[in-house]
Amino acid sequence: MTPLTWLTALRRAWIPIAVAALISYPLVSDDIYYQNMLIMTFILAIGASGWNIMGGYAGYLSLGNSAFIGLGGYTTGILAAKEHISPFLGCLVGGLMCAVGAALLSLITRRTRGMYFVIVTFGTLQLLGVVATIWSSLTGGSQGLAMPLPTWSLSYQDWPFYYSLLGLLVVTVAVSAWVRRSKLGLGLFAIQDNEDKAAGLGLRTAVYKMIAFVLSGTSLGIAGGIYAYYVTFLNTAAVFDVITSVLIVLAVLLGGRGTLWGPVLGAFIISPISDVTSTGFGGADAGAFRLLLFGGLLGAVAIFLPRGVLPVLESGLRRLLAGGSESTPASAGPDRSRTAASVRYVGSGSVKGGDRSPALVVRGLRKSFGGLRAVDGVDLDLPRGRITGLIGPNGSGKTTLFNIIDGTVPTRDGTITLGGHGIERSGRPTRAHAGLARTYQLPRLFANLTVVENLVVPERRFAFTKLWTNRVSSAERERALAVLDHLGLAAYADKGPTDLSYGQRKLVELAQVLWLDPILVMLDEPAAGISPALSERLADLVRSLREQGVAILLVEHDLAFIANLCDQVYVMANGAIIATGSVAEISADRAVIDAYLGDSAVPVASGGQA
Amino acid sequence: MIDLGQALIFGILIGGVYALMATGLTLTFGVMKIVNMAQGAFLITSTYLCYALWQHFGLDPVLAAFLVMFPMAALGFVVYKLVIERLERIDPGLTIVATFALALVAEAFLALIWGPNQRATDPAYSNQAIHLGPLVLPVAQFYACLLAVVITVVLQVAIKRTWLGHAITAASENPEGARLVGVEPARIGAWIFAIATASTAFGGAALSFLYQFTPDTQDFWLGLTLSVVIVGGLGSVPGAFAAGVLLGVTESLTTTYLSVRWATAVPTLLILVVLTVRPRGLFTRMTRQDAGS
Repeated sequence: MTPLTWLTALRRAWIPIAVAALISYPLVSDDIYYQNMLIMTFILAIGASGWNIMGGYAGYLSLGNSAFIGLGGYTTGILAAKEHISPFLGCLVGGLMCAVGAALLSLITRRTRGMYFVIVTFGTLQLLGVVATIWSSLTGGSQGLAMPLPTWSLSYQDWPFYYSLLGLLVVTVAVSAWVRRSKLGLGLFAIQDNEDKAAGLGLRTAVYKMIAFVLSGTSLGIAGGIYAYYVTFLNTAAVFDVITSVLIVLAVLLGGRGTLWGPVLGAFIISPISDVTSTGFGGADAGAFRLLLFGGLLGAVAIFLPRGVLPVLESGLRRLLAGGSESTPASAGPDRSRTAASVRYVGSGSVKGGDRSPALVVRGLRKSFGGLRAVDGVDLDLPRGRITGLIGPNGSGKTTLFNIIDGTVPTRDGTITLGGHGIERSGRPTRAHAGLARTYQLPRLFANLTVVENLVVPERRFAFTKLWTNRVSSAERERALAVLDHLGLAAYADKGPTDLSYGQRKLVELAQVLWLDPILVMLDEPAAGISPALSERLADLVRSLREQGVAILLVEHDLAFIANLCDQVYVMANGAIIATGSVAEISADRAVIDAYLGDSAVPVASGGQA
Repeated sequence: MIDLGQALIFGILIGGVYALMATGLTLTFGVMKIVNMAQGAFLITSTYLCYALWQHFGLDPVLAAFLVMFPMAALGFVVYKLVIERLERIDPGLTIVATFALALVAEAFLALIWGPNQRATDPAYSNQAIHLGPLVLPVAQFYACLLAVVITVVLQVAIKRTWLGHAITAASENPEGARLVGVEPARIGAWIFAIATASTAFGGAALSFLYQFTPDTQDFWLGLTLSVVIVGGLGSVPGAFAAGVLLGVTESLTTTYLSVRWATAVPTLLILVVLTVRPRGLFTRMTRQDAGS
């Protein structure tokens, strides 16, 4: 056994041992103080694990998650006090309320990014506090709401609370583990890295985020209901206190954001501290000291330990155990000798079929930024199975045109028809589903994912059922390895994209967008800054796409590359198309020479070498 | 009708004050894309400092603000250098967490020094009023709004006319380009942050004679200033003013026709409504997004 596998085995064994210890604790000890401390720890661990699904996986931080405790608690409390529904049933309704609330907030923030999410969650916590105080006929307002007392025998102490919360914690961690391993988790980590790019690859990011936030809130809502029954008295100021949210965030950051066990570990550190201080600090300044302690801790963790305890420990242990023999070179794997023909970059989808409608038709596209007309009445016709070049001086509007076509920049003027479907009003995922793919001038791969995972992220169609399947199915892995093999990158399959060179990243990004099985591929300066050998491989790949009937639109400054590849060329200047035709035709065009080439010789003659 | 007119007058005057309180956030959030969750705490710290000067030396809160702005600027500079500059490089989300942590620490210190009881300054004008026919123009609100206009105009002129102002604009719109011409965005950032924090002195002074305050009101003021900035559209100063007035009028109408207790819910409700309808804020212009990428 190598030290590393020994470490993994130890880790595997620890989990059942810890769970068994927690299960048997109340049976062997009747110390109510520690039972109480563990109950509060379970609640915090549930909150932290839930928070981590949205904050750690998707990267959307919330400062208002204690609102779920309040919402779940009050729902349970009101049902128990007014309708005499058992809190252990009522808490499920509370969880449902939290799921609905989380879904609503996700809808409101669906078009905004992380910083707004923080603000909205923070504001909503305040808002719920205000509403609960004002709506006193329902909640008891600032007087508080008393719950019925537990009816079971005193000899059972707080066991029902203890075991239901422990069970809920196990379920929450299991859900979190499952999310990590699924396509849902893959999408969430991709969103954390680059949400725009993820949407461009066909991921319905709004749905991913909504599911993550609902999962985040539901179990904490249920826990809130049980908590309400446990304390038997709810008061708005205490329940909607922002300090509870702070404890949740603190537990996650301290333990390790984005890891599975970090939030639980953090909760088991933070909760006892919170417990000791809330009983230990007395007098008028007790509240201020708690603020000082937890505010200070939160700040210190954010500044000095941003990765958290678990990742730091793990990498430390790994380095210690691995000793000197750290870098085992990645073996290229078994030699899969494949012919290029057997490699499918694009699927057998609609491309080869009878559909001969043009890949892309653009009419009258316009976009102004303030007074600047970036794109001014552009028409394009891209047939299938043709390579079209788009050239023009810097600032002529080429990238803006790309951004309008792929939906990054919205516009009201003009139509975009992709494979016969109007997409000018569609969101980015829908455009990707319709068969649109693009690469960027500087490749944007997902840093949190391996190279293989990067390849299989794209989604040609959305299906809920697919979200729960494995990150990478064996069929997908097989195909991805074949693609990488063909690109000469098989050795990097399970490495991060940061291990790749700039040119290799460009190749992988191209392979990634081809996973969409597109009918149009837009390449933004594919050959810029990469070695001649890679550039040649890229040109071959583009040609083979043409053979398969894919339309290609490429922006490039390297005119030799353009001349070598393109069947037709559009020339853009000042936001408008000033010429179109074959490379020879536009090279002879007076307007093009004036606008773009100046009076220098036309560099087409060199031909072959890209 | 008179109720309505009165509510509008209150709303507009208070709206100007809200814009003033949010000035710092308009700069940091709008220009630097940094969400400073300590804005409310900075504001209330300024308020307490003005209060202390007023209490011990009888200094008018507005005059006190001209002194308070220096320690506040220094505080902002230090916070930027020690916390924000470092965290923005790792993960902007951590900046949000860290500034929020800072707000809690500041609140704790204020509570330890001044206690949890309500305070207020009451300079002579704090309960005077000018009568315009049937309508009442409260002098304190009027002065505060005047102060808001003056500070805003001064800041606007400074941004449009001075070298630092040009550098700020350049660094925010195109950091790469700014670096090329010798403007280091990180150094500019510290200055913007210092100016933003200094500006809370004036918002804080206005707060000190318009409202009763306690340390734990900082998160209410944070919510309110965030609302001004989001509703106004990030970073637009006229937008912040318009949003302040919208917020003030809505609150004032809510107080008049519904209940003063619901008025505290208005800032968050406006955020939710605006994000649903127009996520970029009510008063924004589109800019080119791909510059530098």
